Amino acid sequence: MGSVIASWVTLAHVIEPGDPRLGQRVQQLGPDSVLDMIANGHQGIPEAVVRRYQDFVASGADREWQSRAANVGARIITPEDIEWPTQINDLGPRTPFALWVTGAPNVRLSLLRSVAIVGARANTPYGDEIARRWSADLADDGVTVVSGGAFGIDAAAHRGALMGGLTVCVVAGGVDVVYPRAHESLLARIADDGLLISESPPGQPVRRQRFLTRNRMIAALTKVTVVVEAAERSGTASTAREAHELNRPVAAVPGPISSPTSSGCHRLIRDHEAVLVSSVEEVTELLGDWAPEAHGASRRQGPDMSERERRVWESLPVRGSIGLDELVRICGLDVQDVSTALGILDASGRVTSDGKGWRVAT
Amino acid sequence: MCEGLTDVALARAIGVVLSGVCGSLVRVEVEVSSGLPSVGVVGLPDTSVGESRWRARSALTSIGATWPLQRVTVSLAPAEVRKVGAGLDLPIAIAVLVASEQLSGIHLDSTVLLGELGLDGSLRPVRGALAGVLAAQGSDRIIVPAASLAEIGSIPAVRGAHDLAEAIAILRGEAVGASPVAHAPAQSERPDLADVRGHTQARHCLEIAAAGGHHLAMVGAPGIGKTLLAERLPGVMPDLQEESAREVAVVHSLADRPHPGVTPPFEAPHHSASVSALIGSVSGARVTPGAFVLAHHGVLFMDEAPEFARPCLEALRQPLESGVVSLHRSGWSGTLPSAFQLVVAANPCPCGMRGTPECSCPPAAIRRYAARLSGPLMDRIDLRVGLSRPRDVELRDPTRAEASSRVRERVAVARERATQRFVEMPWKLNARIPTGELRRRFAPDDGGSQLLADVERQSRNLRGPDRILRVAWTVADLQGHDRPTRDDVAQALGLRGAATPWAA
Repeated sequence: MGSVIASWVTLAHVIEPGDPRLGQRVQQLGPDSVLDMIANGHQGIPEAVVRRYQDFVASGADREWQSRAANVGARIITPEDIEWPTQINDLGPRTPFALWVTGAPNVRLSLLRSVAIVGARANTPYGDEIARRWSADLADDGVTVVSGGAFGIDAAAHRGALMGGLTVCVVAGGVDVVYPRAHESLLARIADDGLLISESPPGQPVRRQRFLTRNRMIAALTKVTVVVEAAERSGTASTAREAHELNRPVAAVPGPISSPTSSGCHRLIRDHEAVLVSSVEEVTELLGDWAPEAHGASRRQGPDMSERERRVWESLPVRGSIGLDELVRICGLDVQDVSTALGILDASGRVTSDGKGWRVAT
Repeated sequence: MCEGLTDVALARAIGVVLSGVCGSLVRVEVEVSSGLPSVGVVGLPDTSVGESRWRARSALTSIGATWPLQRVTVSLAPAEVRKVGAGLDLPIAIAVLVASEQLSGIHLDSTVLLGELGLDGSLRPVRGALAGVLAAQGSDRIIVPAASLAEIGSIPAVRGAHDLAEAIAILRGEAVGASPVAHAPAQSERPDLADVRGHTQARHCLEIAAAGGHHLAMVGAPGIGKTLLAERLPGVMPDLQEESAREVAVVHSLADRPHPGVTPPFEAPHHSASVSALIGSVSGARVTPGAFVLAHHGVLFMDEAPEFARPCLEALRQPLESGVVSLHRSGWSGTLPSAFQLVVAANPCPCGMRGTPECSCPPAAIRRYAARLSGPLMDRIDLRVGLSRPRDVELRDPTRAEASSRVRERVAVARERATQRFVEMPWKLNARIPTGELRRRFAPDDGGSQLLADVERQSRNLRGPDRILRVAWTVADLQGHDRPTRDDVAQALGLRGAATPWAA
């Protein structure tokens, strides 16, 4: 084996992510010693792990892991690397052994100022709108938005962040495994502009257990976890619990008390596991020392947005559309200015019109 | 021409008949010769012309003259033109009087006579009197029924007579007859925009529509004010100029409508109307203009437009493309003027309640409803407005909204700019710039072109950017810009049909 890197990578191949017993041994004895124990079939090492190690060696993967990663455009980061996001060590015995990463940005630096935006796969338009808008604002302010690439809130968060900044997707399988299939182009865009991170080697399929272990990574990698919509029992709740146990701030977005997709958020707030947030500023507040200096909307206007466009832009509702007459009433501009501003925003793709009026473009 | 004093019992008078929307002069010749008493009318008379002899005979009796008990031949020349209507009663009666030597010393060779006779000698108004009079312009005298003066307007040579005796007196120079009156524009009767609360976007679109001649579509729930707004479009359009006003008056005269004055006409056919009611009908050789024609130089408002029968909506295409409608019937074939500004109104869905919990329309039904206004039709409608219900605060606002007269002033200035720009071109309105010319000669300035290019990149409909550019020209005219700026193009883009089924 030789290098300590190879030891870490081998451990990542043969030990199921988040295994606390073996993780603890690695922490106590170091990766090389534990690897030796596995190689020798040492007492107390589960048979499954030994078998996986034998397979790993037999398949030649012990010699090819570097080229396999390179083939899928991934690099490998181990705890000794300068790029290792040290906050993840807070997971203690459940700390991953290695990370496979695709995407150019530096992992450690990208995640210094980061927020996890997570939520239900079966979301409502309300949650979608919040996730997208807040992520766009956060990304615009230089905050990295981290999520899991799933349907619903996760995807909305990534899409919003891609509009203006950096987003990180922590995947449950290998970084080359597209899951869900429908998100092929979204994941490709994240790999281009942001980062895909996995603790499993390339080619590893997603498994039910790995979604939960992935969630602990999302919680550990970020400074703040925001739950936008979540049902009472859901994977999102596990992310929130992990973050709570790591003593990271957890925030929850309230919804209608009648909405089942918000009941998990309400439960978190009621149990004092999360604070209620109702604006993106309240989220950045939770970043403490890492809070960006400028806030959402003021940064969102971009260099080419004039005062007139900004007023119209900020008057658009978070969700749904609005008629021109109503906008004229809200902005306090005349109809010519409002329609001119809408035209300019439309041409730049910021707003769009539909059968009900004008809305923020998705 | 009077030859009543000679032995030749022949007299000629000049009358006028209608052919479509034009009058044509008819020479009425009457010969009285010996033979059994009889009356023959030749020269393609229709039934109403043929019956002239009975009305003329009684009318003569009523003024104490007699119908000659000889052979009377009435010839209408040119012989191959079909003669329609009772307007030839008066020239026939006068020519008979002259030919039978009961009337002399009058000059008929530069006098045009028009009117239907009652049995008591009264002169009755005839359909299309104005078209007839226009054909007779250049004559020294045009004698018409006094009741027709209202639709004719001010034409100097016209004299109105109430009955046959008065017509004879005018011919003899013993009476002057009633002269026509100029029509004062009925300003006070026009519905005014000051009465409309809210609807800022729609008001602004009305102004642009009036300034650029753009067709307009409005979508909104029933009772929201679509008709209220549409009715106010003529009030912000400039008054009709003399020539246009005359063309309008002619078609109204054909439909037995009073003279519309100088306000652009407003026609609002019901959605149950037939194609004939819209484009016009021909019965015998008599042409009755439909709503499309009566809206010439004015506004055609089609409320609940998707409810019109498909052939009716298809019939819109010819006037929208070429400003005329063609009628091809056995009695008459030709075109009628039909250059109107179209305003269509539609509900947001078949039940009209879309956006509220009461709406039960399935999405497919809504799509079908919107699709009834076909692509080619909607492509010609530059402006689309989605109406929303005004807020209570707006309805209670005691300050009156801007009056139509103010808007009309701005429209007039904008139109003047356009007129100067189009001085050497066959069109006068931005909405009528042909597509080819639009791109070649009417590009916006650099900023505007840039914005338009951005739009084109996203646009799904090739005609969309053309519509935006046409509207942008009107916005520029209203703003006093020489060519559309970035803001002008943006405004046109921002006014594009959000909140309508044709948003893209």
